[in-house]
Amino acid sequence: MKTVFSYVKPYWLSALIAFILMLIELMIELVQPLIIAKIIDEGIVVNDFSSIQFWGIVLVILAIVALLSGIINSYFAAHVAHSFGFDLRNALFSRIQAFTMATYLKFPTSGLITRLTNDVTQVQNVLFMSLRILVRAPLAAFLSLVMAFIINPKIALFLFIGAPIVVGFLYFMVKKGITYFAQVQWRLDRVNRVLQECLQAIRLVKAYMRNQYESSRFQQVADSLRLDTTKALRIMELIMPVLLLIMNVSLLAVIWFGSNEVHAGNAQVGELVAIINYSMRVTGNFTMFAFIIIAIARAKASSDRMKEVLIVDEGGLEEQSDKKETKINSSINEIGTVRFENVSFTYPNSELQVLSNISFEVKRGEKLAIMGETGAGKTTLLNLIPRFYEPSIGNVFVNGRNIIDWSMGELRAMIGFVPQKSLLFTGSISENLKWGKQDALVSEVRISAEQAQIHETVETFPNKYETRVGQKGVNLSGGQKQRLSIARALIRKSRILVLDDSTSALDIKTEGALWEALEDENATMFVVTQKVRTARSMDKILLLHEGKVEAYGTHDELIQISTRYQQIVESQEEQVGEEG
Amino acid sequence: MNYIRKPFGYEPILKKEDLNRKTEKKKGPRASDWKSTLLRIWKIVDEQRILLITVFFMVVISSILSLTGPLLIGIIIDEYILKSQFQGMAPMIIVLIGVYIILSISLFLQNYWMIGISQTTIFKMRTGLFNHLMKLPVSFFDKRQHGELMSRATNDIETVSATLNTSFIQVFSSLLTLIGTVIVMIYLSPLLTVLTMLIIPLMFMAMRWTTKRTGKLFKEQQAAVGALNGMIEETISGQTIVKAFSQEERVIEEFREKNARLRRTGFWALTYSGFIPKVMNFLNNISFSIVAGIGGILAFNGLVTIGVIVIFTEYARQFTRPLNDLANQINTVLSAIAGAERVFSIMEETKDIDEGKLPDNTQLKGEVEFKDVHFKYDLSEDQETLKGISFHVNPGQTVALVGATGAGKTTIMQLIARFYDVESGEILFDGKDVRDLKRETLRSQMAFVLQDPFLFEASVYENIRYGKLDATDEEIVEACKKANAHEFIMKLPKGYDTILASDGSEISHGQKQLLSIARALVANPVILLLDEATSSIDTVTEVKIQQALELLMEGRTSFVIAHRLNTIRYADLVFVMHQGELVESGSQEELIEFGGIYSKMLEQKDSFRE
Repeated sequence: MKTVFSYVKPYWLSALIAFILMLIELMIELVQPLIIAKIIDEGIVVNDFSSIQFWGIVLVILAIVALLSGIINSYFAAHVAHSFGFDLRNALFSRIQAFTMATYLKFPTSGLITRLTNDVTQVQNVLFMSLRILVRAPLAAFLSLVMAFIINPKIALFLFIGAPIVVGFLYFMVKKGITYFAQVQWRLDRVNRVLQECLQAIRLVKAYMRNQYESSRFQQVADSLRLDTTKALRIMELIMPVLLLIMNVSLLAVIWFGSNEVHAGNAQVGELVAIINYSMRVTGNFTMFAFIIIAIARAKASSDRMKEVLIVDEGGLEEQSDKKETKINSSINEIGTVRFENVSFTYPNSELQVLSNISFEVKRGEKLAIMGETGAGKTTLLNLIPRFYEPSIGNVFVNGRNIIDWSMGELRAMIGFVPQKSLLFTGSISENLKWGKQDALVSEVRISAEQAQIHETVETFPNKYETRVGQKGVNLSGGQKQRLSIARALIRKSRILVLDDSTSALDIKTEGALWEALEDENATMFVVTQKVRTARSMDKILLLHEGKVEAYGTHDELIQISTRYQQIVESQEEQVGEEG
Repeated sequence: MNYIRKPFGYEPILKKEDLNRKTEKKKGPRASDWKSTLLRIWKIVDEQRILLITVFFMVVISSILSLTGPLLIGIIIDEYILKSQFQGMAPMIIVLIGVYIILSISLFLQNYWMIGISQTTIFKMRTGLFNHLMKLPVSFFDKRQHGELMSRATNDIETVSATLNTSFIQVFSSLLTLIGTVIVMIYLSPLLTVLTMLIIPLMFMAMRWTTKRTGKLFKEQQAAVGALNGMIEETISGQTIVKAFSQEERVIEEFREKNARLRRTGFWALTYSGFIPKVMNFLNNISFSIVAGIGGILAFNGLVTIGVIVIFTEYARQFTRPLNDLANQINTVLSAIAGAERVFSIMEETKDIDEGKLPDNTQLKGEVEFKDVHFKYDLSEDQETLKGISFHVNPGQTVALVGATGAGKTTIMQLIARFYDVESGEILFDGKDVRDLKRETLRSQMAFVLQDPFLFEASVYENIRYGKLDATDEEIVEACKKANAHEFIMKLPKGYDTILASDGSEISHGQKQLLSIARALVANPVILLLDEATSSIDTVTEVKIQQALELLMEGRTSFVIAHRLNTIRYADLVFVMHQGELVESGSQEELIEFGGIYSKMLEQKDSFRE
């Protein structure tokens, strides 16, 4: 398991260079007063012009060196911070891509989005700061304390009377900060979530004129975010004043007890003054100090959230394709077969059994219609074939081989999947179709579009296959989306075609032509449909009821044995009679 | 050489031409002018003026106190310690304790209130953005990626938030310190003060050089974040497809590209903005040397004393520190401006103006008329989706829209709901132009069951109540029973109180449609629009809810799109659409007799029946 900060490792050299450059700058800054003193002491006071000149030039050279280190540091620090962020985002995104569908149910999309952008940025900022200013303040404070000790340890000790309180206090604040900032990030997730929902449902919001309602809903989550952020930041703002107070009181203790010491003749007056000066320098760094602690708490909260994604282990990830040896040859007549053996299924986030004890077999090139009430488990059953989910009990075989023995890539490459909701992506039509096959030729795109009965329509668009599609295909009609989604599956020339009620928005003529075109495909087909007309043109029908197989057979068989099937047929014949 | 131009392989982003073009572009009145952006943020901040003034006072107090502390210690050192008079120190120490306590309190309070101000400001910006978004026309959303818009409400606003939390106080106190120091410096030596000030123009130039670049780069960076956010949202929302087609590698590759763009812009923005403090430091050092050098010459000529030079160099240091702080703040402010601009640019999009000549309580009877309506979507450029549609529907009639996909049926529905405005022609309700009606008035008397059913992450109750916000639980259960949804709802873990997830899998697509119908049933509208409302519902269930639907349509003007002819058999009128034109219209009998497309469609269905 990799922790978030291990992603800095590849850039350790750059980070080191940036760090050293920062130290150089700091050193020059510390040396400067000494040189000024030299100019005054050796130059001005004794009227030695050459000495003024010499130290003046040294001063300028040092200033230039500091400038150069600073500028070069900018490059290195920015490089480390952004490369770290880049790698981390890539790692997170790759990990998310490897999630199983069940894992997605655990992480809402909005939470993943926040993690990939906002959370990474938080950590990245801290990293950048640590290469630029972070060490500076503590270092300066530390050096001042050391100086104080060198001068007179006994007096300097009084500076530490507050130390245990400081340590305890800071520990407490950092812990609190992590909890509070985690809460803030979670609130940000919620804001993202409501926003995403409203954008997805914008037409619904408008149809019911619910913008007021949605606004108040958003106001609620935004207000919670405001409250929690305010609370977190306000509590963290305690750090600086409290530290300052403790330090200042310690300073007064130094003055009080120090002067006693001087009075008793145990210390020189000059020593006391010097220690007072140094301790005042320590307090000067406290603003930065508090800032650092807040940043660290925030970064920790964010990195914990990212870790949640990064530590999702094998159980939550899809298996990598190269693990499996793929040589086992299926016998020819098993290619394209699909078999369910006593399959039961329950979604990971619920207790309801959606499928129970399903068994059937579909032979090569056979066409299976799946029917049943809404919520009978049709879509779920189809989702098991490309292994989106694993059966809770039982096995699914493709080409005579248990699908857990297939590599994910190989298994899915055999399947042309058309989901119920025709999801298209921002991009051109041809880009969308090429999802099915990345290197598809223009001719292949065209042929699959023709088969899906969408080619003619595309040709009427001004930009033809280069027409831009909006997110989720908003600018296309329902039927156009469905057919593009079918074409996207057909372009793969898969052995197995899975169509989940994908023709519901098609008119009869188009649908007829589509089925005809699919005849030539010779693929094993799974077709969820509501239409008896479609179902009876298939080889077999699987009728599901409440997750169980109600009946399985041809149209003619089912009409004999299943009353439910008869009902379905009746529900569709009745009106035909009336129409006639 | 190449390594300097492209450090670590980062291609430079800014080109000479880009930088110079800025002056020409300034003319536009858009928010792209940073001054107006700052002013807009300031306006929101300024709404809490009283708090702001309090904060300012706290800053003044803490600035004074943080100067008083060292001053008093100085007195203690000079008057007591150095003179070895330790008696009489106690009162001073007690005073100092008081000073330090008040200092810490004032520091805490200024931050405490400032955070309140900034977070309220952020809240107002965020909700303002959201409220505006909700009022934008549907066509606006057709062109945008959800994630890109979301990024504005989160990532962009966060940049403003980060700045407001700290920058105000920083700027206040820096200015105060600056003024104080300058006064002391002038008092000490006007001549040396002028010398110290010499670097200000240089600082200004350096600042201009960097801000000219960082301003642009920050904008680029926020745009890159937006694009990335858009891609993430879209990909994860469509994850099924990614998995089904094993496109993980490809989307990861695409992600890398967008991510690389962010890295590149981010790198340059960070690098350039990192220059500012360093350059400032350098200029400080130089001015330091000048003061020391020229001061030396002056002292040589006896114009100033050495003591003055010593003190003066200390003050010159003090003078440049707040300047440095200010310079650093410029960076954060610039990134905030970049973020705020992206927020405001959305708020400048013209929203749907919801006005109408007709009174708000206009009661519709349900008569709908189209007069030579032409329409095209923004995205489809010059292709008209509707080419001169005219029809008239009486109150209470049910109209079935049929025709091939893409013929324009959904568009007609969307125009009735006034999601879009017509290109030319008129849409009349009860003889009144739709543009004279408030959208609110129109849609409150309308229910629209959309092609894609959508559920919010809320309980079943709340989801149905969306149709009528004051619906009672009983009404909802009643509607769900009619929509045949009651049975499956009762099987959910908590029945009607079950929280549904919009992307969850507990509810099937067909069940979502049933809930959408229930939602419309609760709304009790005058006009009902059903766009493929039952497409994913099995026919047995459909027959069951058919009755409820027929009941619902009675006495209401209804428009129905359905491909299954059985769902439209009870329509009073059938409109046959073909490529954006209304080719046939009339009652079922009339159309069958006419022997056109509709009758052919019926025949086809018959032919399937064998």
